[in-house]
Amino acid sequence: MDIVKDIKNLLAGMGITGKHLGRHAITIQYPEEKWTMPERSRGIVVLLSDKKTGELNCTGCELCMRACPTGAIMVHAPRDEKKKRHLKAFTIDFSLCCFCGLCEDACNFCALKMAPMYEFSTDDKESLTWDMKTLQEIGRDVDYVDTRKKKKPVKKTEAAKPAGKPADKSADKPPDKSAEPALPEAKPATEDEPTTDQPSGNETKEGEQ
Amino acid sequence: MPDLRTEEFVVNMGPHHPSTHGVCRLILTMDGEKVLKIVPVVGYLHRSLEKICENRTYPQCIPILDRFEYVTAMSCNYVFSLAAERLAEIEVPERAEYLRVIMLELNRIASHLIFYGVTAMDIGALTPFLYGLREREMIMDLFEMTCGQRLTFNYIRIGGVAKDIPAEFIPYCRKTVSVIREKLNDYEGLLNENPIWLVRNKNIGVLPPDVGIAYGVSGPSLRASGVDYDLRRDDPYSIYDRFDWKVATRSNGDCYDRYLVRLDEIKQSVRIIEQALDGLPEGPVKAKVSPNFKPPEGETYARVENSRGELGVYIQSDGTKKPYRVKTRGGSFNQLQVLPVIGTGGLIADLVAIFASLDIILPEVDR
Repeated sequence: MDIVKDIKNLLAGMGITGKHLGRHAITIQYPEEKWTMPERSRGIVVLLSDKKTGELNCTGCELCMRACPTGAIMVHAPRDEKKKRHLKAFTIDFSLCCFCGLCEDACNFCALKMAPMYEFSTDDKESLTWDMKTLQEIGRDVDYVDTRKKKKPVKKTEAAKPAGKPADKSADKPPDKSAEPALPEAKPATEDEPTTDQPSGNETKEGEQ
Repeated sequence: MPDLRTEEFVVNMGPHHPSTHGVCRLILTMDGEKVLKIVPVVGYLHRSLEKICENRTYPQCIPILDRFEYVTAMSCNYVFSLAAERLAEIEVPERAEYLRVIMLELNRIASHLIFYGVTAMDIGALTPFLYGLREREMIMDLFEMTCGQRLTFNYIRIGGVAKDIPAEFIPYCRKTVSVIREKLNDYEGLLNENPIWLVRNKNIGVLPPDVGIAYGVSGPSLRASGVDYDLRRDDPYSIYDRFDWKVATRSNGDCYDRYLVRLDEIKQSVRIIEQALDGLPEGPVKAKVSPNFKPPEGETYARVENSRGELGVYIQSDGTKKPYRVKTRGGSFNQLQVLPVIGTGGLIADLVAIFASLDIILPEVDR
């Protein structure tokens, strides 16, 4: 009988869905509970600071600006008479950013990283352009593996330079710090163990500086 | 008695119709429920990707082409990298090739799972959609832990892959493929013998093999018509020749066979992934490629077997950092071309089933 067979097949399908009857829901109630993002998750771009001096790692070499396919990064680092760059401004326009991660790969100085943070939506396009200070403040809690070369001349001058800036670090909060959130807790112990052995230049084995 | 007669009328299906998988407008001339003429209108999703690529350096083109066919962005990454590597004659490390194959096949499975869910939902069954996307979620997790994104990966780069896989990847990947292998029984149990599914799909939208070839249809849609043609075997790229797998074909060429071929392909992809995980060698994952990548002057065309047919990229290089011309070829365009041929004369409800079973997505059509 055709109809008997059809009903039997329909019931077979129902049986598969019926297996879910006794299970509990796995929905995450988002604003209250949050999903832990993977370590490599490509969220917002933050600027990283030196762990000892608290100064920005960025040397203003503009490599990230050139690597960016959408022109979201703007670096202003004019050279002085000794041809040394001085970082004056670093802005990222997150309305242009396509989160491809090419800036992170281009950087040789551990100056920027894509952090697993994603809550930065706003109703104003203007406030999506973040300046250097904001990016630095957000990046302060971001853990990273310092892969810079120990005997880089850049490093030395940076450490030798009297640090005028870091004093007022903790005082000024960034204006739009809407993206504080769901960071995995920083684990400083793991920093001298790079997890990957990627040969692309910016992940060579190198301990703390 | 007055003269009673029927009149043709025009129905505008789309652009924002949920079963057009993007924004595609179909101008249908109808006689009652019967479709007399189909005119697809495309271009609503045009983003001028090829032109944008001409103004970008080669590494910058890859995230742009992620958006070309975003359901299987790994293939887009791969095909552009393959073309650039052929131009510059770059040797890719062994481990990178294995990782590429694993990622490509995982993405093929993810794409077919989307097909499974969306096709069923277009025809009126909601549950398969939830099932398909549940297993796809595991694959998305794998991608996210590897490259940090779930849809626009920018993972496969010129000369290899961006990063090595994390330590937890291999156990989770093995778990994923075994779960998918197991859940395939559920998928088949839900739909394969379902009487409504059979009525809506069997002998609907039959694509004869010669018509398919004439219109340039490729991929699973053509293999469902009995044409045994798969670029992974017939125009070998990467390391597919090292694995033991079969090209899935069916013979009828109707919607039901197009659905079955894709389920078969999931099984074959699972086999390939398992073998690749077993044979994964150690070593570097990226060849030395200069940041200022400049291929020599020349032109090349690379094509890969995507989940929607042949995906190709043609690059013309003038020896500078930016490609002189980039041309992309997506399988969906040809499948949309053949839709008026096989959909005309049927019912409008069948047209939805045919559209879904050809697995057309509009970003690939419009670019």
